[in-house]
Amino acid sequence: MPRKQNSITALAVVCLATWGAAPAMAQSGDPLAVGRQMLAEDNPGELWIERGKTLFHQKRGPQDASLEQCDFGLGPGKLEGATTRLPRYFPDTDRVQDLESRLLTCMVQLQGFNRDDIVKRAISPAGSNGSDVEALTLYITSRSNGMKMNVSLSHQKEYDMYKAGEYLFYRRSGQTDFACVQCHGGANKRIRLQDLIHMTDKKGVQEVVSTWPAYRGAHFVVRTMQWRLSDCFWQMRLPELTYASDVSIALTTYLHYQGNGAVIKVPGFKR
Amino acid sequence: MAEPMKIRATLQGDIADVRILFLHPMETGTRKDSKGDIVPRHFIQNVAVTHNGKTVLDGQWSQAISRNPFLGLRVKGAKAGDKISVTWTDNKGDTRTDEVAVAAAL
Amino acid sequence: MNKTWLKWAAVSTPALIALGCATYPDQATTRQVAEKMVSEDFTAPTPALLKRLVQDRSQQVCSKIGDAKLTQEEAAEVVKLARDSIRYPAAGKLVGDWKVGEKLALDGAGDRIQGGILEKRKENGGLCQNCHALAPGEINVGNVGPSLTGYGLQRGNSEAIAKLTYERIYNGWAYAPCSNMPRLGATGHLTPEQISHMVAYLIDPQSPVNTK
Repeated sequence: MPRKQNSITALAVVCLATWGAAPAMAQSGDPLAVGRQMLAEDNPGELWIERGKTLFHQKRGPQDASLEQCDFGLGPGKLEGATTRLPRYFPDTDRVQDLESRLLTCMVQLQGFNRDDIVKRAISPAGSNGSDVEALTLYITSRSNGMKMNVSLSHQKEYDMYKAGEYLFYRRSGQTDFACVQCHGGANKRIRLQDLIHMTDKKGVQEVVSTWPAYRGAHFVVRTMQWRLSDCFWQMRLPELTYASDVSIALTTYLHYQGNGAVIKVPGFKR
Repeated sequence: MAEPMKIRATLQGDIADVRILFLHPMETGTRKDSKGDIVPRHFIQNVAVTHNGKTVLDGQWSQAISRNPFLGLRVKGAKAGDKISVTWTDNKGDTRTDEVAVAAAL
Repeated sequence: MNKTWLKWAAVSTPALIALGCATYPDQATTRQVAEKMVSEDFTAPTPALLKRLVQDRSQQVCSKIGDAKLTQEEAAEVVKLARDSIRYPAAGKLVGDWKVGEKLALDGAGDRIQGGILEKRKENGGLCQNCHALAPGEINVGNVGPSLTGYGLQRGNSEAIAKLTYERIYNGWAYAPCSNMPRLGATGHLTPEQISHMVAYLIDPQSPVNTK
């Protein structure tokens, strides 16, 4: 195919893409807002939902079992609304667990996977096809789309976890003297051009808890809250947060409870 | 390893607003991996969209199009229930076709 | 809270839960629980790097939860510790080369830990532009900290200003205890020489920051 024809056709395609999408926009004028709305309406992350669903029902692992018997708090296999109540206390493990830690429990107990192996691959490399954990986490969360975050604190360990998360949110350490609050404690703040969600504000924290897992554009894969927390500690020049650790669950409990009332809408879209 | 597309086609009057999400590496062939080796070219070369079997878009793509691309188009003269079919072929000869029915406006 | 009370709480908590009477733990218990988590839930390439999580006295004071305010005594303590921490460049030159300072100001990388590896380069980036506007017309700037555009134009470049600027970068808590600004020199993220270049970037009349 001659080069000129290639570029003209490609241009037509691009024009069609933008012209086709733009008139549906409610906003006009602010190009960033228009762009963000376009990304939100057609999010590549949605393609991970189907993958997650397949993985959920597929017989996998040494025990050749599916995840259909996994109890996320509402009974085995009951997914609708499950993530709106997480993190929560689970009597069988005697721990407060978030979604990813609970998924880990089921993958080990029901399917026979080795825990360390799952943890090693849970966060996929940027530009890859993504991990099974990322797809499953998104699928399970998507089953609560449209429902409100509704974490309750009733078990003592849930209270303890919440308070620990609050303590950790304000805990400053390392050569940057950063706690979460240094970057996420004010309105309309940004690091370079990356907006920082105002997490000591109800609306801000509701946005956080309702938009993860999210498609991370720059990585071309779906990312989860566990990844997001570890990435913050990376920027803060602190050691690496262990996947599905108590610190991660404490912070998640704190944020989710603060964000109660938020309407789940995943996958989110991040830069 | 052709991954399924996600296609939405909603009617706005007699125009179908079609939006397609593709899962494809769209590797340019100029990128190096962590070991320093070139990652080979792997991208969608051709995209065809049909409306009830009639071709409405025939696109030649290059490696300039990004990973996990999005394509949107509007098709005139559509009715609810019409078939929109999308087929892509890449430079390795891999191909994928998915189709949806045009959904009536809400 | 004395130990007897805690023991009683630990024993009776299961009973209270049965009655639906679980409650928020007190601050001391929370601190204990959370600090234990911190000591167990992180990894690093070396034990020395794990120590980054250990809080110094000022960080402990400055980790106020929610709306909790700093008392006068606490503020004074943090200011004194900050003052005592300040070290100047060996050669005594507080104002370095603004061109070097510019590179540092734009550099947001260095010293991060990922996949068991420390991001070690010749020197750490200054991280300035992550939070501050600097040279006018630059779009890719943060706003967590106040704009520093025209810093030298507004204040001049006297010795007194050079010293003040140096100290505010080395350990800003000497002036604003518990501010969001990292104590870049005191924590060792930047060397005194690096800070002197950043001072020049801010106050040198030739620096882009002071473009009229």
